[in-house]
This record gives sequence, C-alpha cells and structure tokens, in this order.
Amino acid sequence: MASTTDVIRVENLRKYYGKTRAVDDISFAVYSGEIFGMLGPNGAGKSTTIEMIEGLRVPDAGAVSVLGLRQPQDAKAIKQRIGIQLQTTALYPRLTVTELLDLFHTFYPGQRTVPTAELIRTVDLEEKADTRSKQLSGGQKQRLSVALALVNDPEILFLDEPTTGMDPQARRQLWDVVESLRQRGKTILMTTHYMEEAQQLCDRVAIVDHGHIIELGSPADLIQRYFTDIAIQFQDGQTSAERYAALPGVSHAATEDGRVTVYSTDVPRTMAALLEREREGGGVLQNLNVHGATLEDVFLKLTGRALRD
Amino acid sequence: MSTVISLYRASIKEFVRDRAALFWTFAFPVIFIVLFGLIFSGNSSPSYTVGLVNEDGGAVGNTLAQTFGKVKPFTIKTGTREAEVDHLKKGQIDLVIVIPSGLSQAIASGQTAQVQMVYDPSSSPTNAQIVVNIVQQVLADFNSGYTHVTPPLALATPQTVTAHHESGIDFLMPGVLAMSLMQLGLFATATPLVSLRQDQVLRRLGATPLPRWKLLASQVMLRLTIGFAQAAVIVGLSIWVFNVHIEGSLLAVAGLVLLGALTFVAIGYLVASLARTVESANGITTAVNFPMMFLSGIFFPLALLPAFLTPVVRALPLTYLADALRQVAVGSVPEFPMMVDLAVLAGWALVCALLSARFFKWE
Repeated sequence: MASTTDVIRVENLRKYYGKTRAVDDISFAVYSGEIFGMLGPNGAGKSTTIEMIEGLRVPDAGAVSVLGLRQPQDAKAIKQRIGIQLQTTALYPRLTVTELLDLFHTFYPGQRTVPTAELIRTVDLEEKADTRSKQLSGGQKQRLSVALALVNDPEILFLDEPTTGMDPQARRQLWDVVESLRQRGKTILMTTHYMEEAQQLCDRVAIVDHGHIIELGSPADLIQRYFTDIAIQFQDGQTSAERYAALPGVSHAATEDGRVTVYSTDVPRTMAALLEREREGGGVLQNLNVHGATLEDVFLKLTGRALRD
Repeated sequence: MSTVISLYRASIKEFVRDRAALFWTFAFPVIFIVLFGLIFSGNSSPSYTVGLVNEDGGAVGNTLAQTFGKVKPFTIKTGTREAEVDHLKKGQIDLVIVIPSGLSQAIASGQTAQVQMVYDPSSSPTNAQIVVNIVQQVLADFNSGYTHVTPPLALATPQTVTAHHESGIDFLMPGVLAMSLMQLGLFATATPLVSLRQDQVLRRLGATPLPRWKLLASQVMLRLTIGFAQAAVIVGLSIWVFNVHIEGSLLAVAGLVLLGALTFVAIGYLVASLARTVESANGITTAVNFPMMFLSGIFFPLALLPAFLTPVVRALPLTYLADALRQVAVGSVPEFPMMVDLAVLAGWALVCALLSARFFKWE
C-alpha cells in the first residue's frame, strides 16, 4: 500500500522546442511505493517529462525534486539512487548479459549494489545469462535494460514505454517483473501509450495530451468519474431495443445487426431481469459479454481522439 | 580508476569479438605490406654493381683493374675502401673488390699476392656464390695470361658485412604504418562514436553516475591499444618476412606510433563532433582518407607530386607522420626536419582535442 510521502514532486514544468510546447505546465507528485503511470498518445510530452525528472533533459521552467533532492543541481546524487531504463542495448552488443551487468556494477563504486545473479533472476533471464546482448529477442532486451536499471538497487525506477514492440506474452512477463518490484517497496514511474498497461499496472495514472495533464487518479476512479454505465452485450435479433430499455437499472439500450448493448448502472439487477426473461422463454442470451469502460474510453471522452493514432 | 579499466576491458572484448572489425584493422595493412614486400623484394639481377678499390697504383694493379672493368656482369664504380664499403652496407652496390697496395711490387718480384673482396653473403646467397666464382675465374685467367706467379694470384677469404637494401619495402613500410594510424583515427574512432551517439548509448550511460571523462579515457586507451597492435603486426611482418631493417630504436618508433595515434584519434573525435549521423561521418572520413593516402607521400616520394599540390601536401598531418616514421625507421632522407614533424603532429593533436572538448555532443 503506497504511503503519501512524495518521492517525486514536479511543479509547473515546461519545455519548449521553438514554438512547440512539448511540456506545458505539468505538475504532479508521485508517492512512495506506488506505480505511477503517464498515459497518452505519442508526442504528448510523456517522455520529455520523465527525462526532465530523470535529469537527462533540462526544463525551461518549473521545479523537479526527487527524493528530496533537486534537479538539476543534485543530479549526480540523484542518479546514484534511481534506476533509469532506456531503450538502448547497443552499448556493447557482443558482451553477454552477465558481462554487461558486471560492467554496470563498476559505475557505482562505493555503493551497495545487487549481485548480478540476483538481477538476472529478477528479470527472468537465467537461461540467457551468457548470451550476447545482440542475440536476445526484443522482449529479452527490454528485460535486460530493466536489470541494468536495477544494478544500484534504486528507490525509484523509471520506465519509458517499457513494452513497446513486445508480443503479449513478453509484455505480461515484464508486468510480472514490475509488480514484483513494487512488492519490494520500490516506487515506479512509467510512461506508456497502452491503455491495458496503465489500467493493469498503475496505482495512479496521469492522462497526458499535448503537453498537459488532463486527468489524474487511479484507473478505477477515472473510469467511474466519466462512465457510470456498464455495457451488457449479447445476440438477439428479435427483440427491439425499447423492450430492453424498460428493464431495471438500464439507462439506455441499442441494437446493431442483431447485437444488443444494454447500458446499466446497476448490473446485478439488470442481469437478474435478463436471466428471468431468458427463463421465461424470452430468448437466449447468446455470446454474453459484460464490460466496463476503459481508460481509452476516458481519453476518447476527454479529447475526442483515440489513444492510438 | 578501476571503472576506467573495466570499461577498457569491456571495449577490448567487444572489439575482439567483432570479426569484421578485427579483419579490417589487421588484414588491411597486412595485405599492403605483403603485396609491396613481394613486389619489391624479388631482386635477381644478372648484373652486379662492383665497387673497385685500387690501392696499388702500380702497373699490374692497374691492368688488373682494367680487366675487372671488362667483366660483362660487372658494373664498376671506383672509390676508396671506406666509401665503397659504406655503399655496400647501404645496399647501393653488390660487392667491393680491393686491389691491395703492394700487389704490383709483389708480382714484379715473383711473389704471389691476394686480392680482397667484401660482400654480404646473406643478401642473396646464390648471387654471392656466382660472384665469388666470377672473381676467382678472372684472377685465374689473369694469372695464366699475365702474371704467371706461383702460387697463382688468388682471392683472399672474402670479408663479409651485413648490408641492407633500401628497396621499395623500406620506403613503404613506414608509410603503411602511418596510413593505418590515420585510419585508426578516422574509421575506428569517428564512425563508432557517432554510431554510439546516434543509438543513444551515450545517453544511456549518462543516466548513470559514470563521469564522462572515464568513458573517454577508456575509449582513448582502446584506440591506442589497437594502434600499437597494428604497428606491431606491420613492423614485425616487415622485419621477419621482408628483411626490412630498422635503423632507429624501436623505442623511438613506439614513441612516434603513440604520437601519431593520439593525433589521429583527436582528429577522429573532432570529426565525431561535427558529424550528426553515421552517414555524414562516413562521408567525412572517406573524403579525408583518400586525399591523405595519395598526397602524403605514402606510396611514392613527395618529389613525384606536381608543385601546385605542395600547399595541400603541407597541410596534411599524415605527410609529417609518414616522414617522421620513415626517418626513424629506415633512416631515409627527411622531407622535413624531425622537430617540424613532431611539432605539427602535436599541434594537430592539441587543437583537435580542444575543439572536440568544446563541440562534442553526447546526444
């Protein structure tokens, strides 16, 4: 359970590239022990924001504090306590996983570091410990870059689009790794443009678009804020929509090509009524599907655009 | 400091595991040396340049000298013993024949005398034997036809020296060494650096507390190591296979290799500062590589280039490195004084290093 201590605080952050406002007055805080996500389409300003927090980019205006230290003045001290996962394993492509991890250990002299074998276990690369990094698959390379970010046992881990280009299975593997890290008490700040990822992993999400944060909260809160209905869908070519709209808890109903969608604010009552109807011979509920709104629906409602371009 | 060593060792591992890079780094200069060595070392001339030294001055001696002059395979040059032996040692002549003083007097009084010879038996063993046979035959004929002394006029046991032939390979080896140091700076430094920057690797490293100077130090150490390895291969191959003779000390050669490597690595860093992409880095390095290869006196002496190119030649750092290496390694005639060579190289190294420090971008 996350506490409410700020480990990251961002105030009125701005970054301009010529006339373009890549980051336009962004403020938020990240609490200790939580997984905080920045969700938005490509070009929204997520990566730029996270880079300014990491100290890899200098803001044009605003304040960043990490673990009580300021960026960019205390950048070096901050780097010793955070882990940054970047997309590059082109560093020494002919070195093995073990050799790369050993090399990164030497970047933190005088500090306590996590043994290479343990890091390899954490990201599940034991079978590939002696494989050269250029021979790893895309998903394995991402896990390696997470391992490299964990060498100094950081208090905060920064992940920038960590599952881009990964197949679903590899993506889930990485999610498991991130979950296990949170369980060990680490704070994680990540960016993503995948709705499922934000919804599955994050304790709180900031929805970012055109350099602004347009909403912030837990996934469940955000969805509830904008959608109160749950959609119940099934096949029925015969009954008209109005008949379904009369059922208890139903706000409205629609049919399309024999597929009925009933929007309900009280799913138990509506379901009970539907099952009663079926029992009384009013038609079988075929291909039943119940789903709530997603963060993608929230984004669509807020901006009129889809998350994915 | 151990971080620098770890980075250095990691980069050595990376380099050694890159088969293509290994091949081009060592095979390229080796191919040149072998080609030139084969072209220039197979010297079997049926004619011999002879340094004839007549210390006698008497009638018999003069006649003998004229007789040698009529020997078909011999091209005669005359001079003092010191001068001709010196020419022999420099490989400018094939042997020295000395008609010693007192020979005419001895023959006149019915005694025998001996003619002396100096040569290098190792320079071409079969030729050496032929030459000895020729001289002995000449003396035998001279004796039976002219001097009639008993025991006959003979050849004293020849004196041997070690000569080295300044053939083409002597001129070319330092040039090939200089060229490989230049390519170390251009292709082995500039392009990989730009590639690292383009792939955001430098950025990745910037996300750790690793100080930039440590990364830089390990990179420079890697390049110097490669430069010395190349030099060892080139020089070793030249000495053991092609009999190139190193006049100066190997230490001096090593010192020049160090200076040359530093100079061209600094130039490489400057190119990497100016090039944003790997494509433009390749363009710059290729554009710089070819003129330098042909205008810096690598493959042929500078005297062969037309005069209007002289300003260009003087502006190229490779000219000075090749010249310095040739002076130290094989004692050739300097194009520029050694101090000038060293100063130009050091100047280029310093200026490029300072400009790189100012302009190099890590992202």
